[in-house]
Amino acid sequence: MEQQYRPMPGTPVEDLETPCLILDMDALDHNMDVMADYYEGRDSKLRPHSKNHKTPALAHRQIRRGGTIGGVCSAKVSEAEVMVHGGIPSVFVTSEVASPIKIDRLCTLAQQAEILVSCDNAENAKNLSKAAAARGVDLGVVIELETGLRRCGVQEMEQGVALAKTIDALPGLNFKGIMSHQTIPEMTEREDRVTEGYRVIKNVIDLRNAIESAGIPVEIVSTGETWSYDVAGEIPGVTEVQGGSYLVMETGYSYMTEFQYSGKVLTTVISTPRPGVAITDAGQKAISTLRNMPEVEGFPGVTVESMDPDHAILHLDDGVQLTPGDQLTLIPSQQDATVSRWDRFIGVRDGKVEVVWDIQARGCHN
Amino acid sequence: MERPVFQPTGTPVMDLDTPALVVDLDVMERNIETLHSRFDQSTAKVRPHVTGHQTPKIAHRQLQAANAVGGISVTTVGEAEVFGDAGITDILVASQIVTQPKIRRLCALAGSNRIAVAVDNPQNVADLSQAASAQGVTLGVLVELDVGLGRCGVAPSGEAVELSRAVSRSPGLRFDGIMAIAPFPMSAGEGGGSSEFPERQERDAISWQVLQQVLDTRQLIEKAGLPVSTVSVGGTHNYDIAAGMAGITEVQAGSYPLMDHLYCRLRPEFSPAAKILAAVISRPTGESAVLDAGHKATGPDRGMAVLEGVAGAQAVRFSAEHGVLDLQTGPAQNIKAGDKTWLVPYNLGLCFNQYDYVRAVRGDKLEGFWPIAGRGRFD
Repeated sequence: MEQQYRPMPGTPVEDLETPCLILDMDALDHNMDVMADYYEGRDSKLRPHSKNHKTPALAHRQIRRGGTIGGVCSAKVSEAEVMVHGGIPSVFVTSEVASPIKIDRLCTLAQQAEILVSCDNAENAKNLSKAAAARGVDLGVVIELETGLRRCGVQEMEQGVALAKTIDALPGLNFKGIMSHQTIPEMTEREDRVTEGYRVIKNVIDLRNAIESAGIPVEIVSTGETWSYDVAGEIPGVTEVQGGSYLVMETGYSYMTEFQYSGKVLTTVISTPRPGVAITDAGQKAISTLRNMPEVEGFPGVTVESMDPDHAILHLDDGVQLTPGDQLTLIPSQQDATVSRWDRFIGVRDGKVEVVWDIQARGCHN
Repeated sequence: MERPVFQPTGTPVMDLDTPALVVDLDVMERNIETLHSRFDQSTAKVRPHVTGHQTPKIAHRQLQAANAVGGISVTTVGEAEVFGDAGITDILVASQIVTQPKIRRLCALAGSNRIAVAVDNPQNVADLSQAASAQGVTLGVLVELDVGLGRCGVAPSGEAVELSRAVSRSPGLRFDGIMAIAPFPMSAGEGGGSSEFPERQERDAISWQVLQQVLDTRQLIEKAGLPVSTVSVGGTHNYDIAAGMAGITEVQAGSYPLMDHLYCRLRPEFSPAAKILAAVISRPTGESAVLDAGHKATGPDRGMAVLEGVAGAQAVRFSAEHGVLDLQTGPAQNIKAGDKTWLVPYNLGLCFNQYDYVRAVRGDKLEGFWPIAGRGRFD
């Protein structure tokens, strides 16, 4: 990893070794500004998800730019470690943490920063409590509610209220509130997203009210993501929104036109074996194709027809010519699945390298 | 970078922190023995293609086995640098290297290693020749043939002869011969997981025909007066056919030590040696369980990882950080949070691409953490 490519600031884009993952810094700043402007003066704030960029330097930029709660979300304990070691003061682990080794690591982090963790069953709450009490730390606990993702979470209101009571009574735990994550609907019209956002988030607010009626204060209501950032942000009672994709962006979110594509992969043609075909040096190890093939930026008549682990196979329309050595820019269809394959971001502005960041939490699956 | 809990040697495998990429060394060694021994009576030898596992320690095991050619093949210059640093001195970069900085790096490697590279274009031959001459080194060159893969390579015909001639006339280059990556003998739609392979006999016939084109091209080139010392073909799916064809000198097999779900369907004489250990973190309903391994920990771009060892249960969905199991029967529904399960990756290379360490295990005990040193060296 240490010996990987790290170009000097000032290097022209066309001289970069490929494939490489670049960040368009103007687009990055623009995307952060959209969020900062939206959440300015609102009761709800953004808690950026760090699973998307896995980079403390970017988390700090998001927080400095404004509109955030002053902390981040992480998907995994090891990712939270990277964020805390990188100086982020508050981290919310948005997954259930079940194994004793990981609970122990979580408690160690709680000695260094504010740590919140999601929970969906009483047995797990007891394990968290036992470890936190033994270590003399406080873990903030947030109940996860299932609202259509068909993944983790309590399924019903009564279950949620009962779990809140259990957590509230356990030593070492601070009952903080509730969270819920929703699937990304393929809804290109904002009006539809508003309707869908209100429909699913209503359940979250109902659970909040039920827990408060039981006499337990609910400090955090965390829900929504990039597709619903401006829906969840308006619903009274929502305190935090977990947006992440907006920063690097992807063609999957092309309908969110207020955001710009920042993360891109530069690739070079290595072979033009037949008319109408070119092969490049970026494959599925470098770009996720889980949703779709990437798009070729600024080159009409060139499309990615297929990819194998180490190559992209491009289709060239009649009349389009490419030569080995030509450089192309690919825009991924899914950003976090692409970023998680790389060890470096190369930040580029005005055609030159501005900064290089290690993606420190890449590979942090545990 | 991955941040594993470096548990001590001897730790029982089921106590490993998850998700963990685990290699069973006994299974791996049996797989290596199975493939390499097939070459006992063959004129061809094995050149392990390491771009799938990216792990120098595994490459060395392969090279220690019988009938290895003494070197490996890789896909990128970055990988060649990693494996060169790991002490492997004979490396075929089985891809086209076209940009000036990369050609210079290739030549730098050739200063202290036996380096060969694939070509399919005369301009590239000229560029390689100029750089090798300027840096005072010799690059081995293999002309790549496209025998149906539809990727890089020239047609197995006169074009290959022309290009071979160009290589042999170029200073700084040593014309070694030809290479071809044979396409997977598929019916249609690889990657969906549902496609059926043709019957074994038909597959073998396809493989034989494809490889015969390579041997025919060898004859054409030799007729033109150029000796062909290397005829290098891939891979695990046709190794036994290649081993039986006189004139093929090496087989670039890559998947056989560790295998994956796709290759196991095609080649049942090998067993999966690399698996992901994942833990259940939630039992939200009676029929579902959620694992701590999602697509970032399994690399399912070409097909989903397959749950192993839990009767009546199936891995049905992977989101970024989680896998979801469907528990269809009573015994499967006894799974509880904290339990650990095994997933077999669908495609080995895309799975290894997501990790930095192999947990090497023998007899269910941890033997060590082996760096996947070539990971991420797309450069």
